[in-house]
Amino acid sequence: MKENKSVLKKITDSREASLLIVLIVLCIVISLRSPSFMTLKSISDMLKNNAVIMIMTLGMLGVLLIGGIDISIASTLAFSGMSVGMLMKYGMVQNTFVLFLIAIGIGALCGLLIGLIISRGKVLPIIATMGFMYIYRGLAYIIANSQWASAENLGTFKDFALGSVLGVNNVIIVMVICYIIFFIVMKWTKIGRMVYAVGSNREAAQISGINTANVELLVYTVMGTLSGLCGALAVSIYSSAQPNMLYGREMDVIAACVIGGVSMTGGRGSVAGALLGSLILAIIAKALPLVGIEAIAQNTVKGVIILVVIVLNVITQRMMDKNNLKGREM
Amino acid sequence: MAGKSGRTITNVPEKSLKKTLFCWEGMLVVLFILINIFCAGISQSYQFSNVLREMPKYLTEMFLLFPMAFILVLGEIDISVGATVCLSATMTCMASNKGLPFGMVILVALLVGTVCGLVNGLILTNFQELPPMIVTLGTQIVFRGIAEIALGSGGSISLTNADGFRMIAGKVGIIPYIFFVVIIMAVLFSVVLAKTTFGRSVYAIGSNRLAAYYSGIHVQTIRLIIYTVMGFMAGLAALFLTSVLYGANTTTGNGFEMDAIAMAVFGGISTSGGKGRLLGGIISGFTIICLRIGLGQINMNPQLILIILGILLILAVLLPNISAKLNVKKKA
Repeated sequence: MKENKSVLKKITDSREASLLIVLIVLCIVISLRSPSFMTLKSISDMLKNNAVIMIMTLGMLGVLLIGGIDISIASTLAFSGMSVGMLMKYGMVQNTFVLFLIAIGIGALCGLLIGLIISRGKVLPIIATMGFMYIYRGLAYIIANSQWASAENLGTFKDFALGSVLGVNNVIIVMVICYIIFFIVMKWTKIGRMVYAVGSNREAAQISGINTANVELLVYTVMGTLSGLCGALAVSIYSSAQPNMLYGREMDVIAACVIGGVSMTGGRGSVAGALLGSLILAIIAKALPLVGIEAIAQNTVKGVIILVVIVLNVITQRMMDKNNLKGREM
Repeated sequence: MAGKSGRTITNVPEKSLKKTLFCWEGMLVVLFILINIFCAGISQSYQFSNVLREMPKYLTEMFLLFPMAFILVLGEIDISVGATVCLSATMTCMASNKGLPFGMVILVALLVGTVCGLVNGLILTNFQELPPMIVTLGTQIVFRGIAEIALGSGGSISLTNADGFRMIAGKVGIIPYIFFVVIIMAVLFSVVLAKTTFGRSVYAIGSNRLAAYYSGIHVQTIRLIIYTVMGFMAGLAALFLTSVLYGANTTTGNGFEMDAIAMAVFGGISTSGGKGRLLGGIISGFTIICLRIGLGQINMNPQLILIILGILLILAVLLPNISAKLNVKKKA
């Protein structure tokens, strides 16, 4: 039977491979319409501008894998980013490295609190994170105290996003490191496999000796940590810190995961899928103005694409199930 | 009701004063009174007439609460309603500015909302595997996107002729019309949810969808109806919101879906489905509105109000869980 399985079939069977094909087709079509798209600079700019969403997609992958959801991430990001901005503005801390540590620390604490409420208090993730969405965003406004940190306040901190190592932008390096760590952890370590186990069947995981509450706590803390890191990155990339940073963009992160084939009910999804999903979303956002769609219509197109992708996903899944059943009858 | 096995099955819960007082709704009524006393204490101008004057703006969110309660009881969620309100309000303003008679304007508002709800419902019932959260996330972006296109580069529209809207913003004595509409809708939706076959089917689907399906409930038809009604009510909310704001912009209705969900959850309606009563949602809705008006009157930072609401929301879900845990420990 194995030899019968053609290469084509293998590709259509694997979600990541079909996403890769979509990605390549997208790139070809866009570069035919606009040759400036496939240049190194344009791609590097695109990656840098979407790094925040792409890194948070990793955390969201973990959260969705255990069957949870976190809609407070944009607020956590604003809170940690605003903290960094205000620390710079009032000259309390100037060292870039220390500022990054502070941002990551704040994010981790935010995530830990959410994780505790969800794993120990047994509050549904959507409700708990909705509450914290209000709370952290509110805290961001309160520490801002109707001020905002502009480029001149940010001194050397904004240079981080401008600097590069071996010709690769620092932000992209951070992103790549995050992806490599996540790829290894999710695929080859005990913790990563535990996350999948809890997501696929919580009771079975619990009975086989996994502390499901701690796994839950861990993924939300990681999500918070990444949001904190992204807060600092966003301040550096946009060289400004405002309390309404990335308002509503948590939906982009969830959409990237879903396009990447991460199941909302848990247990299914991969780092490669998350990467491809967020890349496709980033490329679409970048390509729409290039192919002549006005800025004003971009959200509509983006929404339609998300809907089409998820509906297509269901249709292919149904076809696959049908094919599998056919095989059984014979 | 003795069954074959000789066991008696009663599904009528015993009624006692203690139970009525200590149920979730009873606690909410107490909280409602406490919050009103608190608001009257901190603000001189927190008086009945002032509160009623401020209320129409907040009451529009109550329209979304009723069908949202149905959706939550189903065990689902609809996060596209804020965008539906935005699109519907935009279209309403445009229709009014085109000089259509006011009856037509009302029709436009309701129709746009209903169509949005129908789109959600059709996608969700035809592709049942899809989680409602993701579908409504997609439609949310699309609806708001269409509103953005319609509004053009300015991003906002204001009414040129607000006569009709002034009419629906009118009052009987000191009580605004919208108050009566909300009460009528509240009674209607509560009765449907609690007393009719349709309402009980919603609970059945929320508790166990498969069991409901096999016992002959038309699960998909009910879902389609509920999502369409959600859209209709969003249209109604948009109509009244326009009569308060005299215009619309791209951020109209931002966060309405979250507010409606928060009111429902605070009122004891579980987001995992099958549990909760609309009465609780209505009381908690009024409680939150009063708190907002009261804190708004002492010019509290609106962000601080949001923090308080967030904490209240989490506590509302956390406290029963913790007390249940403690009870289990005590018994063990």
